[in-house]
Amino acid sequence: MIGERALSGVGAGAIRIAEEVGGILVLTYQVLRALVPPRIDWRELVKNLYKMGNKSVPIVVLTAFFAGGLMTLQTGPFVKKLGATSLAGWGAGYAVLREIGPILIALMFSGRVGANNTAELATMTVTEQLDGLRALAIDPIRFLVVPRVIAMIVMLLALTVIGDMVALFGASVVGRAMLDIDWSTMYYSFSENLRPYDFLHGVYKSIAFGGAIAVSSCYFGVTVRGGAVGVGKAVNAAVVAAAVSIMLLDFFITYSTG
Amino acid sequence: MNPDSRIERLGAAAVEAARALAELWMVYVSTVSGIVRGFTRRRGGRGRPKGEILRQLYAIGNKSLIFIVVTLGFIGMVMTYEACLQLSRVTGDYSQIGSQYIRLIVTDFGPTLTALMLATRVGAGIAAEIGSMKVTEQIDALRMSGVLPIDYLIVPRFLASVVMTLMLSTLGGAVMYTAGGLTAQYSFGVNPNLFFDLSLLEFHHFGIMVVKAIAYGAAIPVVAGFCGLRARGSSEGVGWATTAAVIGSSFAVIMLDFIISATALFLWGGDL
Repeated sequence: MIGERALSGVGAGAIRIAEEVGGILVLTYQVLRALVPPRIDWRELVKNLYKMGNKSVPIVVLTAFFAGGLMTLQTGPFVKKLGATSLAGWGAGYAVLREIGPILIALMFSGRVGANNTAELATMTVTEQLDGLRALAIDPIRFLVVPRVIAMIVMLLALTVIGDMVALFGASVVGRAMLDIDWSTMYYSFSENLRPYDFLHGVYKSIAFGGAIAVSSCYFGVTVRGGAVGVGKAVNAAVVAAAVSIMLLDFFITYSTG
Repeated sequence: MNPDSRIERLGAAAVEAARALAELWMVYVSTVSGIVRGFTRRRGGRGRPKGEILRQLYAIGNKSLIFIVVTLGFIGMVMTYEACLQLSRVTGDYSQIGSQYIRLIVTDFGPTLTALMLATRVGAGIAAEIGSMKVTEQIDALRMSGVLPIDYLIVPRFLASVVMTLMLSTLGGAVMYTAGGLTAQYSFGVNPNLFFDLSLLEFHHFGIMVVKAIAYGAAIPVVAGFCGLRARGSSEGVGWATTAAVIGSSFAVIMLDFIISATALFLWGGDL
């Protein structure tokens, strides 16, 4: 009896996940299809670029600063014990540029912009504004989803570039303030040990993360059901889906490109 | 825009932020005092349904299990892969990697990444639930029947989250370590006996991990509950509260990580 219930629970869970993944893939296809003759609503795009990008700068800068500092805190004592302070920038910079920077910034972006976007689209869906658009023969995908997807990809890319710089600065500040590593030592350590490819590796990860956050947050926004409770659940599902896809994409990109 | 109104807006934002912080602090204090009251009273938790803490333990812990295992497993593989890749270019000496990796997992990555993941899942869930109750006036109904909403809603989530963050951090760290070891073995041919080397671990590393996990576990439900209780309006307000909860609790985790790591650095110096 209990085994049966557990089994049906597993099956129901698997079907739900399959449904969500399928829905996200269908939405991705629809977005790409809407881009083929590229007719974009520029006003909506610019509005979203500003709202998603410029307004996220403070939180991204703060996060990146502390993330960079943390990496120095974690690698610094080890490097100091070996007496090789010239390698401090290697550990911190490498971790920041390739992994921690893009992932943390994407997670914060998914929290601020992705969740907000889901909430906004979900509110529009439950108040039947999407049906209103359809009744006016306006395709909600083309009008609402496509500009958001483009804006999120572009802006996460831009924010990752800014965040990387801030994180390296944060790493130097913490190195100076807490571990007595000179600014110049840190600077040379960065420039000696990091290659442009390390930076690019993080940047093109952020493109993939941006796409994943955008599509999953839009999907849970437009498929929401049932009032205020539904909106909360949709936002919750969207951030979870974004976090899982960030980790999966990170693994596959790292593994396939090295 | 004339400069006066700009200064006014800056001041208004500062006042608003200070007010929010004070309110957040009040939520925290009321939660802690609710827990203390629950201990001193024989039948604790006014009007809280029986088994509520167990239900929250299940909702926060068991239901996050797969999520934590999948995300931390993948990130564990990536981190080892990146580290080995870099080492293979510089020295090609993998003998240190496993012991350093487990030290980093225990003192930092295990609890912090688990808590970041929980902040998105649990934080958003708590805010969505409490926010929906707020906008449908269920919180006011609780207050009218003489039940403190914080006692009734946040205290069980707080206790459950503290316990479960600690458990899931341990599990998440173990998953990261195992996934890392397998990656190192299959992609770079690192001998597992060399990788699974616990010689660098010391007792205070576990102390840092426990302190971090408890601090994160306490911060997530307080921040999320605070955001949920601040929800206004209808579905838009719930959406706003959930977003704010994810951002607020993730940021709280990063800040706490920084503060605790820096304190530990001062306490144990280069031996961190």
